[in-house]
Amino acid sequence: MSEVLIKAESRTDFGKGGARRTRRAGKIPAVLYGHGEKPKHVALPALEFAAALRHGGLNQLFRIEIADDGSKALALPKALQRDPLKDTIDHVDLLLVRRGEKVTVEVPVVLSGEPAKGGLLVHDLNTLSISADATKLPDRIELSIEGMEVGSHIPAGQVTLPQGSELLTDPETVVVSLTVAPSVEQLEAELAEAEAEAGIEREVPAPAEDAASAGEAAAAPAES
Amino acid sequence: MLMPRKPPKGFRKPHSPKRRGQAKGGVRVTFGEYGIQALEHSYVTNRQIEAARIAMTRHIKRGGKVWITIFPDQALTKKPAETRMGSGKGTPEWWVANVKPGRVMFELSYPSETTAREALTRAIHKLPMKCRIVKREVGEA
Repeated sequence: MSEVLIKAESRTDFGKGGARRTRRAGKIPAVLYGHGEKPKHVALPALEFAAALRHGGLNQLFRIEIADDGSKALALPKALQRDPLKDTIDHVDLLLVRRGEKVTVEVPVVLSGEPAKGGLLVHDLNTLSISADATKLPDRIELSIEGMEVGSHIPAGQVTLPQGSELLTDPETVVVSLTVAPSVEQLEAELAEAEAEAGIEREVPAPAEDAASAGEAAAAPAES
Repeated sequence: MLMPRKPPKGFRKPHSPKRRGQAKGGVRVTFGEYGIQALEHSYVTNRQIEAARIAMTRHIKRGGKVWITIFPDQALTKKPAETRMGSGKGTPEWWVANVKPGRVMFELSYPSETTAREALTRAIHKLPMKCRIVKREVGEA
């Protein structure tokens, strides 16, 4: 994955008020730490940072240049705080990394292909924990489920990882399984029982003939 | 219907839960592909949860899976009609989940996005607050 250059500024305004002023200025408050160094408080450009994450995923490698002291560093996002309603990034923890250093990250598993029909696909594990070179992190792991049979599953140990990556998740953990889907009768019985318990009444559409005869019967007294 | 299996540990007739602030957890789609996110505060009763689940399941039939990520563990009380004030607190009447803005209440996994969105829309119609459909981003656990 390529690096993204982000020009950051040192932050001297701390606390709730300071963080809000930083956000109002179109920046994201962030902290840069790792390798036993003293943490640096910085402000990142919000739009550029969000766009980089959108395109490169949550394991995007950043080259941070701090304008005030001219220092440069490689960093990975370690923790993101988002606003649940506005979906904006409130704060970022950036972890300092070095070239050639092995880091532990969560990489998303993306399914491809069509499994056998008649089954219910359950994607149990959406991410796999791997250890890889900080500059060669995969943005996703493709897992083919083409022709997967009903009742089968794929454990983490069977997933093909990119070269140079090592799996840290338990190899026995199920990543995806294709279970037997409930039959129409089973589903209908379960729903009918739930509706009866909750007191939900459904409008059952009457057959066309019955509806027509009922309409005639209702109209007859009015004519006489 | 959903309700606590045992009586609550605290009081049988608690004060009504607070309706302020935002959801602190459960704000992301975790299990399925799509979810229903609350945009307002509301008490969601166990009947409403069940009605939404049934509406969703009836639409997707047998090709998908539904998760309910809220639980009605709060009792709300009510005094009988035409009763004078006083004489103590009313009896527990409903079991509700205290839902705050941002909370993901239902999740759904289904191969077709169009059908999944239609099913979630039907479920939203059974709920007492404004909601929106959210989709899990790649990389979110």
